[in-house]
Amino acid sequence: MDPAGPAASHQFWVWWTMLFVSVVVALAVIALWLYTFRRREQPQRTPRQEQRIMLRLVLGGGILLPVVSIVALLVFAAPTGRGMLPLPLPEREAERIEVVGHQWWWEVRYPGENGEPDVVTANRLMMPAGEPVDFRLTSADVIHAFWIPRLGGKRDMVPGRYSTIRLEADAPGVFGAQCAEFCGAQHTGMLLHVEALERNEFDAWLADRRVPPGPIDDEDAAVRAFGEHCAACHTVAGFPEALIDDEAAHGIQGPDLTDIGSRPTLGAGVMPMEEDAIAYWLQHHQTLKPGNRMPPHNHLDAETLQDIGAWLETMEP
Amino acid sequence: MKHLLRLTHPIQMVGGLTIWSIWFVAIYSGLSVACSVAPPDPGRDIWTGINLAVGLATLGTTALLLWLSWAGVWAARRTSVVRENYFARVSAGIYLFSAAATLFVGYPVIFLPPCL
Amino acid sequence: MSDIKDATLTPEVQRLHEGMEKVWGNPKGIRALTVVNHTTIGLRFMVTGAIFFLIGGLLAMLIRTQLAFPDNDFMSPEIYNQVFTMHGTVMMFLFAIPILEGLAIYMIPKMIGARDLVCPRLTAFGYFCYLFGGIILASSMILEMAPASGWFMYTPLSSGDYSPGPGSDFWLLGITFVEISALSAGVELVVSILRTRTQGMALHKMPLFAWYILAMALMIVVGFPPLILGSILLELERATGMPFFDVAGGGDPVLWAHLFWLFGHPEVYIIFLPGAGIVSTLIPVFAGRPIVGYGWVVAAIIIMGFVSFGLWVHHMFSLGIPQLALAFFSAASMLVAIPTGIQIFVWLSTLWLGRPRMTLPMLWIVGFLVIFVLGGLTGVMLALVPFNWQVHDTHFVVAHMHYVLVGGMLFPLMAGLYYWLPQVSGRMPSERLGKWSFWLIFLGFNITFLVMHWTGLLGMRRRVFTYDTAMGWDLYNLISSVGGFMMSAGVALLILDITLHFRFGKRAPQNPWGADTLEWAMPKPPTAYNFVSLPNVETRHPMWENPELPRAIYEGNHGLANIEHGRRETWGSDALTGKLRETIHLPSNSWWPLFASLALAAVCISLLVRVYWAGAVAALVAVVLLLRWSWENGAHPKMAPEATLEPSEPPLHYHTMNGPGVWTMSVSHLANGSLYLSLLFGWFYLWTVAPEWQMPQTSPLSMPLLVLAGVALTLGTLLLAKLVGRLRQDVDAGLGGGMYLTGMLGALQSALIGIVIWQAELAPTESAHDATLLVALIYALAHALLGAILCLLQGLRVGHGFVSAEMPMEPVVVLRLWYYNLVVYWTLFVAIWVMPTMLGGAS
Repeated sequence: MDPAGPAASHQFWVWWTMLFVSVVVALAVIALWLYTFRRREQPQRTPRQEQRIMLRLVLGGGILLPVVSIVALLVFAAPTGRGMLPLPLPEREAERIEVVGHQWWWEVRYPGENGEPDVVTANRLMMPAGEPVDFRLTSADVIHAFWIPRLGGKRDMVPGRYSTIRLEADAPGVFGAQCAEFCGAQHTGMLLHVEALERNEFDAWLADRRVPPGPIDDEDAAVRAFGEHCAACHTVAGFPEALIDDEAAHGIQGPDLTDIGSRPTLGAGVMPMEEDAIAYWLQHHQTLKPGNRMPPHNHLDAETLQDIGAWLETMEP
Repeated sequence: MKHLLRLTHPIQMVGGLTIWSIWFVAIYSGLSVACSVAPPDPGRDIWTGINLAVGLATLGTTALLLWLSWAGVWAARRTSVVRENYFARVSAGIYLFSAAATLFVGYPVIFLPPCL
Repeated sequence: MSDIKDATLTPEVQRLHEGMEKVWGNPKGIRALTVVNHTTIGLRFMVTGAIFFLIGGLLAMLIRTQLAFPDNDFMSPEIYNQVFTMHGTVMMFLFAIPILEGLAIYMIPKMIGARDLVCPRLTAFGYFCYLFGGIILASSMILEMAPASGWFMYTPLSSGDYSPGPGSDFWLLGITFVEISALSAGVELVVSILRTRTQGMALHKMPLFAWYILAMALMIVVGFPPLILGSILLELERATGMPFFDVAGGGDPVLWAHLFWLFGHPEVYIIFLPGAGIVSTLIPVFAGRPIVGYGWVVAAIIIMGFVSFGLWVHHMFSLGIPQLALAFFSAASMLVAIPTGIQIFVWLSTLWLGRPRMTLPMLWIVGFLVIFVLGGLTGVMLALVPFNWQVHDTHFVVAHMHYVLVGGMLFPLMAGLYYWLPQVSGRMPSERLGKWSFWLIFLGFNITFLVMHWTGLLGMRRRVFTYDTAMGWDLYNLISSVGGFMMSAGVALLILDITLHFRFGKRAPQNPWGADTLEWAMPKPPTAYNFVSLPNVETRHPMWENPELPRAIYEGNHGLANIEHGRRETWGSDALTGKLRETIHLPSNSWWPLFASLALAAVCISLLVRVYWAGAVAALVAVVLLLRWSWENGAHPKMAPEATLEPSEPPLHYHTMNGPGVWTMSVSHLANGSLYLSLLFGWFYLWTVAPEWQMPQTSPLSMPLLVLAGVALTLGTLLLAKLVGRLRQDVDAGLGGGMYLTGMLGALQSALIGIVIWQAELAPTESAHDATLLVALIYALAHALLGAILCLLQGLRVGHGFVSAEMPMEPVVVLRLWYYNLVVYWTLFVAIWVMPTMLGGAS
């Protein structure tokens, strides 16, 4: 109810107009009905007169009123849907961002151009402000729906299919986003942090992530523990292959953790990112977000989890 | 079976909307198939063969239904059986509604591209 | 106005009443399970529905308790998901539809002047299916394995990978079982309304309520099969791994959404139409004048019935379907405003031109109007695609939907309940308690859901089990919860009122509200045979034009007042004019419906616990029981006691060629055809749309064998048509032999289809193509077998003398099945062999 983009503000006005007209219509119809109980004496009418009164009411109220309203709706309001179509833009291509829904987190991919690698992150979406952005949506498991309420409508994410929705943020800012199609136990806890940046800041942010990460110290205990217990599901760019224990895989993909240290939330928006937050999350994630797909880590001692958490917090571009 | 085709038979009350349904299924499935087999270039916006075909089908169906509605009114005037007159008038009304419904549902072809 | 109590009965008429009671009356004790009478079964439906309403309401209270406060841990997310899934499922499938069917089953014969519905045993069978299906579904909650994927059960969330437990199976099997009951009620209501109206009641003279129920029943018949097919396919996917909805195997999860909403949207109107029918019945009574614009209402009903099938995609606006296609559905959704508007203004004009009285039923009608108009207006808003994208799947939609369903169905139902209560019990409800409960429910409802619109606009999503206090939704949710509990208090008061009225209510006069329809011409509480004599009715308002009717009927002055023969009889009349065509001999109490539904319940439970061999055995037993049931039909001695005492005019229905059985078969094929078309839709949909669909270069099916099977079918149909043609000329020589020969041709067809399936070496668990093909072939095989078996049984019946030139009805019924098979088989051949071969391995 606080629109921050053209699509959303259009809907905002459509809504208030519709609301006003509806309230007037509803009150009028109800008042007419109640009035019929209040009248005292009725004049004697011939069947012809009765027929005329009936036709006037039914034609006027039952046909003309709905016809006028729906034609008005279709003619004035329906074409607004056009603005959300990914039609070609006159100047240049719209920025394209891919979002993949998972139970219960978001994978966000920025396709690389001219052979550049894709930038992959999770549970945070950066977008340029002041220009249309095409979101290409799909799902890795069940049907989810992508919805940034303040920017506009929602779109389902269907496994095996891509669909595109065009949204625009008027000015830089932070917006909440969420899964809007019931997708299982943690549908509630599937939130996405969306941030719109000025174009140059956005480019810089993206460029930072295109730089190949520095070497990872494969003697570090935390790194070895990560390789043994986590890396089968969670990708970290540049992580030494030799340390990854594939046996630990559960056949489930977890969020990419390459830039986790720079993200504002943990667990797809379940808790804010603070000092030692990751370690806390690793120990208590099944109570913080019951039913989530990461297995509990009861078999690991607190110290190991502390180490892994501390190391992950350093993961920033 | 022939008596079912007379506009005074109550089966005609569902005739108009049956035609409407067939048209509706035809344009929706036609659109889906056309979009999956040969989607036109988004740059052409609404100026595509698909829009044209749907538009023509809409106009043709509307015309047919309007004619049937008019014929129903005629049939009501000709008959002297109360029951037949009654059903012919109700059917004519529903034919008219179906014609309007066809036009109304088909109208978006003039402002939306087919496959996006 | 005449009262039955003033009637004077001659000893002769006294004997007539006693005889009727003996033939029609309900047995007591364990044999009460054999009862087929529509009054009794209708009440059973309604009472069972009311119990499920209380269960559903309890679940709603659990939801509101959980959401009353932010970060509430009253329920875990798993339990919460089960609770809201079951709330929706119970309310839609186990309360709304069955209770309305129950009302129609109870009321329709009484309103159209018949003694029972046209297939009484089917009524009983439907009830048991509903009861057992409901119990199976509800038991999942006690076992804590309830389905948890939402009442719409979207795949792949509901499929094996993401819902491994038996929850989804409970849903799919239980609901399919309950739907059998809806379909059987739908079929017989259609035939009853069209063919058993009393003498003279032409189509345009029947009560408006019958028009509404006719539309509802036809919509059930056409609208339920897509979901039945979807449930079968999903259960097959879960049980055997056929990938109908799995992208990797060539399926598509969106197919489920299509099949579900193809049923799901008409369902809303299936619920609304009877509600509106109650409104259209009550308003003229309390306005003291006929409804103005009967024809307008009929037209509006027909338009609603059709247009509601063109809306299903509006539940899928955000699924990424092209916007132009969405625009079609958006426009179609807005069109519904017109028939709704017509009805609301017809009711208004009737009140305007009459002298309306404010009574307890009328209070509920006014409550209906207020709530329904608001729900309708938000509905028009939701039809607008861009706005829908914003509020879809938020609490705004939850609020809208409850306004439409509670406003459109529950409030009229309550009005009808109070209106017809004296008819059922012979006593008047109390005005004071009734008013209290009305205001509690009305205010509680609005407090709960009016606020919820706003919560939704603020962005609160549906189906979240809790929310953060930072969102600022605390107060609104608390208000909604308080309103919800207020509503429950109202429901409790309502139950109290109804219970007390049976004991303390004032005795009701013959026609307490001054109504115009025939059900008020009956004794109160109703007799099992409704009317001891069937009147000639040529007006829409029999009770207004002839206030002496109740007594005249009771004194046996009208038609069919004869019980010497010991048969249950009612009139069969022309669908259009209401002229008498035959005397329908109705079957009496029987164990078969109970046994057959018990066997089906055994099938259900075996599938649930995944003991498939037991399921197969139980299914076989069910088929045998159903066939045994069909054996006791027509001129079977158990069915036709003292067949010598026959009326000369109109003849008993099994002496005619176009009796109710033929109609029932035709209407059943409407349902069957809807299932078949859904299957074809699935085939073409997956073929053109599914991303990974693999169409093999050459068809795996053997063309010569398929054609040969089709030739056998065609010859069989021609032969059967010739036999029936000869029966029409009263010739039955060679009938038995001809029947056996036709049966053999059917068997040949079945065998050939069997060989085709065996030769094709399909891999149904690997590809959706092979899986769909297999299902289609099994469909054809099952029909071929049924055609063959029925013909062989007909041959036997000719031998027993149950079928002859004198009793020619059954072959006509069987011929309908063969015609259906003929059309289905050849179109299927075109769809699965000719088209893929011509278009090759395209896409």
